[in-house]
Amino acid sequence: MLLVGLPVLGLLGILDAGRSLRAPLSITGEWTVELDAGARCAAGPASPRQPALSISQSGSQATIALYDGHAAMFEATVEGTALTAGPLSATIAGQPGARTLEGTLNLEGCGPVAFRAVRQTAKKGGT
Amino acid sequence: MLDLFQLVLQIAVILVVARVVGFLFQKINQPQVMGEMVAGILLGPSLLGWLAPGVSAALFPPASLSYLNALSQVGLVVFMFVVGLALNPSELHGYGHAAVLTSHVSIVAPFCLGGLTALYVYPRLSDDGVTFTGFALFMGAAMSITAFPVLARILTERGLVRSRMGTLAIACAAVDDVTGWCILAYIVVLVRVTHAGRPAWATIGGSVAYVLIMLFVVRRILPAFEREFRKRERLSDDLIAIIVVLVLVSALATEWLGIHLLFGAFLMGAIMPKSPEFTRYLLHKFESVTVVLLLPLFFAYTGLRTRIGVGGGRAIWLYSALVIVVAITGKLGGSMFAARLSGMAWREAGALGILMNTRGLMELVILNIGLDIGVISPAMFSIMVLMALVTTFMTTPLLEWVYPTRLLRAQVDEVHAHVA
Repeated sequence: MLLVGLPVLGLLGILDAGRSLRAPLSITGEWTVELDAGARCAAGPASPRQPALSISQSGSQATIALYDGHAAMFEATVEGTALTAGPLSATIAGQPGARTLEGTLNLEGCGPVAFRAVRQTAKKGGT
Repeated sequence: MLDLFQLVLQIAVILVVARVVGFLFQKINQPQVMGEMVAGILLGPSLLGWLAPGVSAALFPPASLSYLNALSQVGLVVFMFVVGLALNPSELHGYGHAAVLTSHVSIVAPFCLGGLTALYVYPRLSDDGVTFTGFALFMGAAMSITAFPVLARILTERGLVRSRMGTLAIACAAVDDVTGWCILAYIVVLVRVTHAGRPAWATIGGSVAYVLIMLFVVRRILPAFEREFRKRERLSDDLIAIIVVLVLVSALATEWLGIHLLFGAFLMGAIMPKSPEFTRYLLHKFESVTVVLLLPLFFAYTGLRTRIGVGGGRAIWLYSALVIVVAITGKLGGSMFAARLSGMAWREAGALGILMNTRGLMELVILNIGLDIGVISPAMFSIMVLMALVTTFMTTPLLEWVYPTRLLRAQVDEVHAHVA
């Protein structure tokens, strides 16, 4: 009883203590991106393509796959509500179930473009 | 769209690498399954993707992996049925105090240490999409699991199944597995209810009703298969097909309830009649294709999701070391301490602790579920996979060091003489 009862009490204490812990904001999943309506590519008159983001996250580190005609991968960091990566900087907002990103995205041939992204699925998994 | 050529090529490469690495591991006195697990890692980003990213991308393009995953999941459903089938609650009888104490402590000690570790790693390797409770309970369950099938294989390969310690280890591992899966079912429900918005009462009520139906209705029908087997010393293909359908229906029921496909398959195996001849016959029928063909696919799929040492820098190695030390302390230390308290000699208690520390394949199954439902991050998954590999790899050499085969064999002979 002692060998089992005491650790179980300890576990309840751990669960209670852990409730006050804060983990980095979740950004894992598939995101649809809306670019600023007035954005124009410097290389030509056409509007840039609507890109998409796929993010895989472990704590404050994340890997972002950006699809805008071709796929590009880059590492990102989450600090508080700020998401910074190579061509992207954004502010994370909303609850985990309805999370959004707002910031600027450097698209090839277009320069920095303001964007807003909405998470479609909080899909997890490593592949 | 399914690229059949690519899928068949992937399967062929996986099987060849699994058999070769498994063979090499057998040469160093490791169980074949250990080699197959390592083969999966070698095919993933941790080695092939790191050494030859072009080859890796051509052989395993991300879009093709869903088919590999589907095949490996089918294999796991059958495998979990086999694991349930091999479990025999009556094995606990006769081991009394030692088995009850050791099995309970071998769950509780690593579980609590896993929870304690979660306090440190949750803010570093998780995110706010996962509650601390879900994360900590998962860490506890993943730390406390024992690989019943791998343990049984190690004991069989060393001729120790009938030794006092071997039988005790199998009995404790059986209890650990059943408890671990029950806890994991609870965690899956907890996480899925939070994410899916499905009312908790529907999942919990449905799960209770499902278990009651399995125990009090389905279990009473199953002896008909055993009677047929006794009559003809075999089962017709039609009857085998009915068993497969029952396994699939049970698996679908638990998936529909929001627990997980694998629980249904496991429970169906656990409630099958347990006469040794019937169990051996069914194991023979189901094991070959699963173990030789489908499990290596699961190992490869796991390996493709594992990124040991890729990204994260030195901190990841520190977290890995912490998790491995905690896992070994909780499981090996806890089991050894409990066995010693129940009257076993230090050497015997130590050997039992080493055996209980084998996590192997069952750990990989649980970790994949954790990654799928999002309760652990990809980095945490890789760390835990590394822990599973280390704790499984160390079993055989450590056992040989603490309790050499000649001593164990002498104990087996002693038991046989006593029985005679």
